[in-house]
Amino acid sequence: MDRRTFIKGSAALVGAASLPRKVYAAAEVPAKIRFGTAVGLSGPFIDGSKSTTISQYDLWAKRTNDAGGIMLSKYNKKVPVEIVYYDGRFDNNETIKLTEKLILDDKVEMMLAPWGTQWNIVSAPITNKYEYPVVYTTAGDSILYTKANDWPYAFWSLSQPVESVQPLIDWIVQLKKDGKIKGRVAAINIGIELGVEMAKAFADLAPKAGLELVFNKSYPPDVQDLQPLLREVMATNPDAFFSFSYPPDTFLVTGQAQQLGFSPDIFYVCIGGVFPGYRDAFGAEKVEGILAYGGMDPAAPGFDDYAKAMKEMYNQDVEAGALQVYAFLQMVQWAIETVGEIDRPKIRDELAKGAKGTLWGDITWKNQLNANPWAVGQWQGGKMVGVFPSSKQNAKPPIFPKPKWTS
Amino acid sequence: MFEVVLNGLILGGMYGLIALGLNLQYGIARMLNLSYGEFFTAGAFASFFAFTLYRINPLLGLVVSIPAAFVANWLIYRILLLPLVRRAPDRDALDANIVLCTFGLLFVFQGFEQIYWGGNVRAYYFLSFPIHFFGASLPANRLLAFASAVVLAAILIVVLRKTRFGTALRAIAIDPIAAGLSGINVLNLSALAFALGGAMVAISGALVSTFIPISASIGILYTLKALIVIIVGGPGRMAGAIAAGLLLGVCEQVGGYLVDPGLTLAFNYAILILVLLIKPTGLFARG
Repeated sequence: MDRRTFIKGSAALVGAASLPRKVYAAAEVPAKIRFGTAVGLSGPFIDGSKSTTISQYDLWAKRTNDAGGIMLSKYNKKVPVEIVYYDGRFDNNETIKLTEKLILDDKVEMMLAPWGTQWNIVSAPITNKYEYPVVYTTAGDSILYTKANDWPYAFWSLSQPVESVQPLIDWIVQLKKDGKIKGRVAAINIGIELGVEMAKAFADLAPKAGLELVFNKSYPPDVQDLQPLLREVMATNPDAFFSFSYPPDTFLVTGQAQQLGFSPDIFYVCIGGVFPGYRDAFGAEKVEGILAYGGMDPAAPGFDDYAKAMKEMYNQDVEAGALQVYAFLQMVQWAIETVGEIDRPKIRDELAKGAKGTLWGDITWKNQLNANPWAVGQWQGGKMVGVFPSSKQNAKPPIFPKPKWTS
Repeated sequence: MFEVVLNGLILGGMYGLIALGLNLQYGIARMLNLSYGEFFTAGAFASFFAFTLYRINPLLGLVVSIPAAFVANWLIYRILLLPLVRRAPDRDALDANIVLCTFGLLFVFQGFEQIYWGGNVRAYYFLSFPIHFFGASLPANRLLAFASAVVLAAILIVVLRKTRFGTALRAIAIDPIAAGLSGINVLNLSALAFALGGAMVAISGALVSTFIPISASIGILYTLKALIVIIVGGPGRMAGAIAAGLLLGVCEQVGGYLVDPGLTLAFNYAILILVLLIKPTGLFARG
């Protein structure tokens, strides 16, 4: 670019920027719809952030733009999308600051959630204050039971702690009534965030339902060996085992349980249990019947196309947690298309109505929380399928007992 | 209790194994290499891909990854660190520069790891059958890591104590200037020690990945563990590194068993603080 064009261009930009916003919006089609996000791009949690959230934002933007963009019926035109990333660095202050910057300085049209419970929760008051509708897709915390109602512009898509363990407890109670199980349950948990939250909910609810909680201990985040803990668990002879774990230890606990020949009738792992890499690490046979946090329905509309796109862009199989993030991008897109323009209060109201036929099933909200998220999935024949809540469309009946491992 | 201690020993052997390489780099070559763990990650991923894609035995893969890590670390020393060594006015300034440089390197490596290997947690299982041992059962892969730690440390000790080359290495560790004056090529030997350390960590990465799930960002965790082990054991002391590793492993497991497994990290740091207070040169350091 020579200097003259640069000056011309700059002048035009300055001119355009100084036009009153309303006039611009009414008269001209926006060149693109920018979605801002202060998701962590570097730092200790980049693995999860990348595989669950960033990969999906990029995939969605690509697929949407390949199809011409988002249809804005007000202008009768498809408008391409762009994701504006700032590195929130998994830091509360940074995330808050950058979220505000995206809204006030960059004046992005829409906002997307960062990754991780903590950073979702610190962003919500900001996006709510500026009335940006956002579906927060990676937050599980009992604080939301009381706080979510304060933020009408924030929606929370994941299964929260109580809803995540209640169906499992109910199921075990029923199995106990049928005389198929003694009802001795054991739990271990990683000492952070959702691990603690789930364990708390479980330790609170299981005894109330008449189950015998025979073991309940936590372990630290960078654990390298869970065998001693597992031996203690084995000594209590439980028939259901719950590991409220995170990705590295979810793998570790499964591998070590198999080495020790600890094969209870019910074996549950928390985050990471739905990863295709989890199945690949042990083989489809050895994960058969394992229950995990999350879940999905491989018969959901658009699943096959999505799976193909994942394969093409990342050479990866579908991961339920990432698919969930994608499903809510879909839902936001539909809400914008129904409204037909970037009118955020209207988009918020449209989102609040829920949606039918997303990749993650039908969505309705209750007190801003997802009223029927997939809570529990299970490996069945090498596939991750949603089993709880059983009221959800296409929920498969859970396999019981889990086939024994031969060690 | 016997099983708990045994588990602690095995875990400690793994810590010792991971620390051996950094002990060469920090204890001998005097380079506090913060990007150390990234070569651990590289070794781990190399054997993961070799095993899952081509069914290459992780032990066989070492034939390639050891020389590769050796050369890579040698180049890092010659190209990146040597200029810092040459222009540093004194030891303290050099230490600060090395820390900053390798800290930067850490992020560069992590960036590449993220790009090429993505953010997923991966695992494969190799030699994961149990071996029975006085009534306790131990997985073969962890036992192998333990045995390798002991053997490698033994080899290093013999080389350092009994050979001319080893004596020279010890000399540069104790006093690089005097070593230079007595005709030892300090820079060449330092580069060699640094590269050897890099090769060692690639070995530990490959061995540990047979039983611990890996992801692109685990490196720093192992750098920290290795640092604790070295500080507790005394920089440059190979037997010290193994002993300190064992001590940490046993304390973690016994503490976890007797008190609470959630406190293993606290035990780690409690030992570190105690050592720093009582014998800051390391438990097994001379003098």
